[in-house]
Amino acid sequence: MREFLLRLLPLICLAVLPGSLTVAVADDASLDQLEEQAFREAVALADASIVRIETVGGLDRVGQMLTSTGPTTGVVISPDGLIISSAFNFISQPTSILVQLADGRRFNATRVATDHSRMLTLLKIEATELPVPAAADPKEVKVGQWAIAAGRTYDLTVPNVSVGIVSALNRIWGKAIQTDAKISPFNYGGPLLNIDGKVMGILVPLSPQKSGETAGVEWYDSGIGFAIPMQEVLAAAERMKEGNDLHPGLLGLTLQGSGLLAGTPVIDRVRVESPADRAGVKEKDVIVAVDGQPVTRQAHVRHILGPKYAGDVLQLTLKRGDEELKVDITLVDKLTPWESGFLGILPVRRAVVGSEAPRGIEVRHVFDDSPAAKAGLKTRDLITGFNGSPVTTAAELVNLVSRMRPEEEASVEYERDGKTETLQLTLAAVPDDVPADLRSFPIPVGKSAKPAADAPAADAPEKDAPPAADKENDEAGTGRITGTLPGDTHRYWGYVPESYNPDWPWGLVVWLHPENDTMEAAIFKQWKSLCDRRGLILIAPQSEEISGWNLNEAGFVTDLVRSMQERYTIDPARVVLHSFSSGGNFAYHLAFKERELFRGVAVAAQPLLTPPPENDPDFRQQMYLCCGDQDLLLKRVEATASGLRKLKYPCAFRTLTGRSHEYPAADDTAEIARWIDLLDRI
Amino acid sequence: MSQPLLSCPMLRPGRLLAVLLLTSGLLHGAQAQAQQRQNPVQEVLPKVVKIFGAGGIRNLQSYGTGFLVSPEGHMVTVWNHLLDQDRVTVILDDGRRYEARVLGAEPQLDLAVLQLEDVKVALPYFDLSKAEDIPAGTRVLGFSNMFKVATGDEPVSVLHGVVAARTSLNARRGAFEFPYDGPVYIVDAITNNPGAAGGVLTTRDGRLVGMIGKELRNAETSTWINYALPVTQLRETIGQIISGDFRPSRNRTEDDTNPRRYTAINFGIGLIPDVIQRTPAYVISIVEGSAAARAGLKREDLVVFLNGQLIQSCRMLQEELGWLEAGDTVKLVVRRDGQLISVELPVERLAEE
Repeated sequence: MREFLLRLLPLICLAVLPGSLTVAVADDASLDQLEEQAFREAVALADASIVRIETVGGLDRVGQMLTSTGPTTGVVISPDGLIISSAFNFISQPTSILVQLADGRRFNATRVATDHSRMLTLLKIEATELPVPAAADPKEVKVGQWAIAAGRTYDLTVPNVSVGIVSALNRIWGKAIQTDAKISPFNYGGPLLNIDGKVMGILVPLSPQKSGETAGVEWYDSGIGFAIPMQEVLAAAERMKEGNDLHPGLLGLTLQGSGLLAGTPVIDRVRVESPADRAGVKEKDVIVAVDGQPVTRQAHVRHILGPKYAGDVLQLTLKRGDEELKVDITLVDKLTPWESGFLGILPVRRAVVGSEAPRGIEVRHVFDDSPAAKAGLKTRDLITGFNGSPVTTAAELVNLVSRMRPEEEASVEYERDGKTETLQLTLAAVPDDVPADLRSFPIPVGKSAKPAADAPAADAPEKDAPPAADKENDEAGTGRITGTLPGDTHRYWGYVPESYNPDWPWGLVVWLHPENDTMEAAIFKQWKSLCDRRGLILIAPQSEEISGWNLNEAGFVTDLVRSMQERYTIDPARVVLHSFSSGGNFAYHLAFKERELFRGVAVAAQPLLTPPPENDPDFRQQMYLCCGDQDLLLKRVEATASGLRKLKYPCAFRTLTGRSHEYPAADDTAEIARWIDLLDRI
Repeated sequence: MSQPLLSCPMLRPGRLLAVLLLTSGLLHGAQAQAQQRQNPVQEVLPKVVKIFGAGGIRNLQSYGTGFLVSPEGHMVTVWNHLLDQDRVTVILDDGRRYEARVLGAEPQLDLAVLQLEDVKVALPYFDLSKAEDIPAGTRVLGFSNMFKVATGDEPVSVLHGVVAARTSLNARRGAFEFPYDGPVYIVDAITNNPGAAGGVLTTRDGRLVGMIGKELRNAETSTWINYALPVTQLRETIGQIISGDFRPSRNRTEDDTNPRRYTAINFGIGLIPDVIQRTPAYVISIVEGSAAARAGLKREDLVVFLNGQLIQSCRMLQEELGWLEAGDTVKLVVRRDGQLISVELPVERLAEE
């Protein structure tokens, strides 16, 4: 019946269509042909301006990605040899760039400047009378129009083409046209043409969430592609042609509430010494207009800010109480990195069930020479207030302390021997080094554990335990565990101490193996006793291909961590990625991708290959790096540590004497475990 | 080895249905006319079959696609692991089921021809003599059982796109691990999915153009490419296999080994020590009186082309020099002070030869 109706439907439609059937059929076939011809003519019009770019030398990898050695594309934008291309085409930092024109002539090209906001690179060749393509009028570019993407990569004589439509305008915070033509390294840097052969934009990989040279490449050929509107390309080229790189403009403030659906743009924090700070913007100010355009949602602000470069001036209209004021702010390309303050204590960890509401934070350990030590705080003191605000949990205290800077004055209220006192101290920076000695935190032996000698009795719920115990053993087994996640083919193994007690928070160490070796036996051997001693659970996901991790597998690892968090009691402050050698790339990638989940990264013998994001008090992350002194990578790992420190990440670094490119020995992994044990320091 | 999921937008059933229904006149509301005229898609679908064979282990699908080329049940597909068993099962668009055996294969073309058994009625088929070549920019349809979406008596899935380029995948040595070095069609639709190999590429009006190839990643860009082998390149061999006149070509691996006859120093060129993956081919010394000295090469020249081939590293230069034979002429292009300079060197017989 349904099929019958489907067949009938066109006939019904036909009845109301003007014109005879035969004419309509002819039109249909010829329209197809006319369209095809129009595509070819559009490309032919721009053909002479589309150049092929080849590179010599350069890096073979950028981050996780093997850089391309294939030819890429560019577009002539001035008769005297200015050529625009995608910055992605030069991420390998080639020694030499060669441009070949459509007529076959070859030129040596110099890189003039790069636009780090719109991800364009401007090149110059010594040539004259080059054909400049016509630019489409931006007002004429509309969603639904034909969009033809062209590159000169497969064949020198004929551009390669992909046909789609304009899918959206003003994407990526007002910077790009979106198209469903297939955009990939085969046409990055090439033109997006309209059906008249005019250039609507230049094709670049972009991502709404990420920035950087490789952002958006994972969307190649997906039907989600981007082009920078030609008018803006030309404006950017005008600013770049003297050799000045362009950068996204930064204000230095964050807004309250996260997520793009967040409403009224209320200022949460103003970065010290940022342009916003210097212009006198204050916390709790409400942004009511940007550049004279009224804004009511956070997304409005980003849409206006997105297209701006460092050096541009932005006008904010702010509401402070009943007062309305206007400030002009010159945007910058770099902000002073955030550095969190540090008290110098470790809090006593608390059982997750059974006990009454905490009155404060009991001090487990006071670090030598720390502000807390200098001010006289002692183990067993109970911190009840910070800067006048009452605090009862370690999370609250961390939140307050990490939003202050080193050298700032603070007051701490605490109870000792039943008396409440207040002391003043000057916060310090989170230290990089790991103390030589740190007593492990005692966790009462769990009920699922084998009978231990004189384990202190756990809390009240113990009585209910026996019936539930079997089920718990199924879900949250102890000892060596292996498995897969439902609906996922990846395997994992792990180790849960026999003394596991679900009433207490445990650290989680996520081992990411290097290429071609899961190192299962070696890791198990070294970490079993460390886990037992430091209250840690080890989990080791395995890559689909033993040859190494694929960035797409990040989802599996985070799913695994979340599944562990459901099955076991995991301390969110001590979820750590640990890796060695090539696995470290994936560890860094995951850490910076999932900043809320992973609080620490401990990597042996692998430098960081991509620039890390800025340190952010909202995502407290700490690093531990080590490398053998015989390892050729030592210098680069050292440079990674100092780079991370420059960005104010607390970063421990250990040179392993007498070791080459190999996994650390037992004493050194003991230090890593010790470091994990102090990640909840405040 | 499977494509990233994001690059398979056609997975969405809604869009698939739209493609199937609106095969002709996607954008100008001409469904009515398309239904009236013999619909080209309806003509193609019965000629494309689903194949089930060996596989099913990690990353190796046990399903694929093929197309019929004779009324007696000759079927063409790609040469792959599916055919590693005696018989494979072939299912037509209307659910008819046949067993098939391999008649012959040409690994150099990634091609296999099968014979369906017990064919009692004439089957719909493509007339290979009518296959044609088309230029870049031509709109095409891709037919295949990608991801095994079609089951039982369902016809295979149809995608639409344009020919992005007609090119050779082996134009640059080492870019693809692919035995076939003739021209291919690069398509801007995501045609090369798991199970799609052996499907067909046709023009919008249903004329046979190509056979969709295996999934293939471009080593130069680390991206998956979508391509089809022109049927005009395959039909002679298909005909020979069917008629029994076919001799498979010899394995060429021996020919592919670089003889390494010459290195840079044979021309009097001293290269910068090759320490990293892509050490640029900088000249650091020129032997006095050598061919390089006579041709005017200088210290600090950067070799960027050899006989038109882009030289991206010392390794590549040595590799290319290795292929030369006495009597050849080497045309080098070097970069010197921001200019490209061409020189020619004779390839002289080596002393020990």
